[in-house]
Amino acid sequence: MTAMGDQEVTELVHAAAAGDAGAWNALVARFSGLVWSIARQHRLSDADAGDVCQATWLRLVESLGALREPEAVGGWLATTARRECLRVIKHAGRQVPTDIGAEIDIADDTTRTDPARFLIAGERQSAMRTAFAALGEACRTLLTMLINDPPISYAEISATLDMPIGSIGPTRARCLDRLRKSPALAGITA
Amino acid sequence: MDESAADELLLTQLHSALDGLDPVPESVVDAARSAYAWRTIDAELAALSYDSLLDDEELAGVRSAGSAARMLTFESADLTVEVAVERGRVMGQLVPAQVGTVELRHPGGSTTEQADEVGRFSFDGVPRGPFSLRCTTADAATIVTDWIVL
Repeated sequence: MTAMGDQEVTELVHAAAAGDAGAWNALVARFSGLVWSIARQHRLSDADAGDVCQATWLRLVESLGALREPEAVGGWLATTARRECLRVIKHAGRQVPTDIGAEIDIADDTTRTDPARFLIAGERQSAMRTAFAALGEACRTLLTMLINDPPISYAEISATLDMPIGSIGPTRARCLDRLRKSPALAGITA
Repeated sequence: MDESAADELLLTQLHSALDGLDPVPESVVDAARSAYAWRTIDAELAALSYDSLLDDEELAGVRSAGSAARMLTFESADLTVEVAVERGRVMGQLVPAQVGTVELRHPGGSTTEQADEVGRFSFDGVPRGPFSLRCTTADAATIVTDWIVL
């Protein structure tokens, strides 16, 4: 498995804009995880998250030919999904999470509401998820992109997060260090 | 173990802990794929330029008390579409005022209404989820609006 280069992403966008459904499906395969994870980070229900994803992709369909930076389509999708999440949250009159503290128990919630998953998941994985959920949004977004399958290139991550490529390595190290030192993982990882 | 190898390992462990916990539902991937069917090649995009939900904090506050419709404005070079959305109802007006055909498109299909001589149109019973309007008039090019979640 090799990281897809910017060139390839740009070609997919151009091909999809020109009517190539296969190129569109390749874009979906590549970025649907990213769009979904953004909807989930805003703690939307399955139905709302589904609506956000669908609206985001529908918007891309209409914008394919007009993207100023086709190589940064991942960033465009992330930004569009985030704005759509805020709309859905406001529309429902719900609170927008404004601080990291409010998001700390995401992993706990997930395991609590799904007993089967809780039983299957090892204690270590559970601790890892708790520690991950306690990280700030910037770290969670970066790490989510770094473990995306298929891999996302540094150039795309840079465009998506509006972060210089040179900062990704050091930020990655800092986020992992925070994860490692998380109280939830104390005594679990080496 | 050097530092970068330790980082790699931790990232792999994180991947395995998060993997499968919240996979993208197949229906969501399917919906993303079929979004492509809505590609239009003969229409100009009317971009969302105003959304009372996001662009007017005070109004949004009022909205959460359930007293006001959500107002949207879509703009293209020749045509502006003003829309009010309230509980499955989409009412709008073409600006400048003119007769035309307005198609409301949603993932399950579409319905068509005529805009009257002052450009007004209305749709009832619009299902939840994303929708977009496609407007055809005698004076302006056909336009499609950005997709909005109802």
